[in-house]
Amino acid sequence: MKNHKYSLFLSIFLLFSSVLYSQERFIDVRQKMADALTQVKNDALLANWSKVETSLAEVENIWLTEVKPMITEEVKKDSQYQEYLNRLEEVEMNLNRLKETLKSRDQDKMETLVNATIWAISHHPRGFKVPPPRYSIWDWVFALTIGLGFCFLAIWFGLYLRRSYYRRFPKGITVQRSKP
Amino acid sequence: MISNLIITFIYLGLMFVAGILFSRNIKNTADYFLAGRSVPWYWIMGAVWATNIGFLHGYLAHGGAAYEWGLIQANFEWFQGPFGYILTGIFFIAFYWRAGIYTVPQFLERRYGSALRTIYSFAWIIIFIVTIAAELYLGGMFLKNIIHLAFWPSVFILTFVVGTYMLLGGLGAAIMMEFVQFIIMMLGTMPLIFILLNMVGGFTGLKEIMLSQWAVSPQYFSVLPDIHHPYGPGPWIILGQCMVVTIGWCAGHQSMVQRNLGARSLYDAKLGYVVAAIPKTLGAFLYSVPMIMAPIIFSRLGIFVEKSDAAYGKLITNLLPPGMLGLFIAGLLSAGLSSIGSVLNSASTMLVKDFYEKFLVKGKSDHHYFIAGRVATFLVIVVSLLLVPVVLKVYLIMWLEQTLLAMALGPFMAVLVLAIFWKRANTQGSLVGFLTGGIFAIMLQQVFHVNVFFQISWWSFVVSLATTVIVSLCTPPPLPVKTEGITWESNFEKLVGQIAEKRVEQFALKTEELKPQARIITRPAWYLNLKYWATAVLLIQLLLLIYFG
Repeated sequence: MKNHKYSLFLSIFLLFSSVLYSQERFIDVRQKMADALTQVKNDALLANWSKVETSLAEVENIWLTEVKPMITEEVKKDSQYQEYLNRLEEVEMNLNRLKETLKSRDQDKMETLVNATIWAISHHPRGFKVPPPRYSIWDWVFALTIGLGFCFLAIWFGLYLRRSYYRRFPKGITVQRSKP
Repeated sequence: MISNLIITFIYLGLMFVAGILFSRNIKNTADYFLAGRSVPWYWIMGAVWATNIGFLHGYLAHGGAAYEWGLIQANFEWFQGPFGYILTGIFFIAFYWRAGIYTVPQFLERRYGSALRTIYSFAWIIIFIVTIAAELYLGGMFLKNIIHLAFWPSVFILTFVVGTYMLLGGLGAAIMMEFVQFIIMMLGTMPLIFILLNMVGGFTGLKEIMLSQWAVSPQYFSVLPDIHHPYGPGPWIILGQCMVVTIGWCAGHQSMVQRNLGARSLYDAKLGYVVAAIPKTLGAFLYSVPMIMAPIIFSRLGIFVEKSDAAYGKLITNLLPPGMLGLFIAGLLSAGLSSIGSVLNSASTMLVKDFYEKFLVKGKSDHHYFIAGRVATFLVIVVSLLLVPVVLKVYLIMWLEQTLLAMALGPFMAVLVLAIFWKRANTQGSLVGFLTGGIFAIMLQQVFHVNVFFQISWWSFVVSLATTVIVSLCTPPPLPVKTEGITWESNFEKLVGQIAEKRVEQFALKTEELKPQARIITRPAWYLNLKYWATAVLLIQLLLLIYFG
């Protein structure tokens, strides 16, 4: 019975750790792709075009064999991958443009495209997609209730403190200032 | 990179040595848990602020949440935080301090009995363990990004350093490091915002780029957004966070309260808390405001961001020059480590005082419990380390921590407020109220899938308050011994005239016989006056809200 309990615990742990592992691995493969893209940018800035070609091929390889398959598979289990699925086309379009730019050997365009691709595989803030403010009647009801309620409470409490203070220490007492 | 590494490791080494040095002065539990009750107000201020700022609260997690949701995150520093500091400093601290307690649950026990104390301690120990796990995760991720060490070795290094210095040094070591960190961080982290503002063309330039070129929602720049906001609806921020969680955090978080309990006098405890609201307000400029500019910088420079929680580390490693980066890393590490240290110290204090001493081994020597404190510290850090893989899966650490806090602090605030302000609240009422509120909070999140933690805290507070009142009225009133000296009514005179009363007693003998109508009350110098500090903080808050609200 005891061993049975342990095996149950172990299988739960292993199941859980596989999910955790995918998260960590997803970070690592994207980091690898970003590093390869940075290498493309650096090589382009040095006008070392043969190296750029090799680095770009490596980027494409990482994308096709590691990052993209992970996104398409893991999105079925975890909604956190959805944002990357939405940007699949953007990444592929950027990679194609990079290949075209390599022919024209435009360093500035190359840098811009690499930066855009890195940004496309990065995590984007959710706050960007929040709808514009729609202050409803409830916002005003809340604001007025809380605001006026707080003012009322503060005034009442201030007067209460003042009354209680002077009850104990009547006016006319000399106040001398010094360090505590 | 080498210079940054050298600074980082020198700093970690110094922390290690500090723990050993402090361990020489520790002779009993009061020294270990409350730093011998000898801390002046300015140390309290630095320590309270630094306890509140770490990997989790502040830089990495708050910065991460600011990256994710925008300026709304700044409401923690510009609105609710200082408000909570002032209210706790002026009203709540006196009750704890006078009672001569070590932990907040001891106060609850005096007022309501031991059952509530045990439940409350248990809830907090769980929160502390998750908090330490989250801090270790964030710290590991930070080290991974800045010194390119693998994630797990980074976590183990952090665990070893913080565990050692806390095991040896206790609260004294924690407060000392927090004060040093307060200075380092202010110097090391302030330049970042100026560098960033310069890059994006000021706050106006930032807004222009985001709103017109990127078509970002205007709510990304609002501190109090509308009621439909998925992360923090404005009205719920005020009700749930400002009125409940923040005050509950300041008055009920063992780490925060423990710094004040170590003060040399009540006035030092109160003043330290109130003045800490000023650096708390500045905190938003150290991490929240820089992080709303981060997306522009990342996309412009081609910096990869894997998760929101890693964004802050990425920003500074790519932006700050090497020497300054080293100072920054030292500041941030000290923030994170002192934060972990303080939570660790509080968790071990609660474990020993509220469980071990109370239930397991009673009536042993002071030295015995002091050793037990060190063993508890070790156990807590080991359990937290085991939890790190679970924390890794959470999409935003800030959300996890705040949800847990909301579940515990809603019911806590209800029983605390009634404990102090309503003499009729009794043991049965508080127990049923606290449990009902806690269960209701868990149900809201787990069954009804309410993910806005501000709502969870508010509704659990309301449910807990109502239940406590109803059950208290249906059961016999508490005995006078339970309320004497620790309720507002019975403690009020002392609270209001605390300074005055002390001075009156001193001067009355000299003056009263000669001139009964002209007794002298000595008040603190104007620059140490609580009222002036509190007013200044509230005015700053008001101005910030008018500008950014």
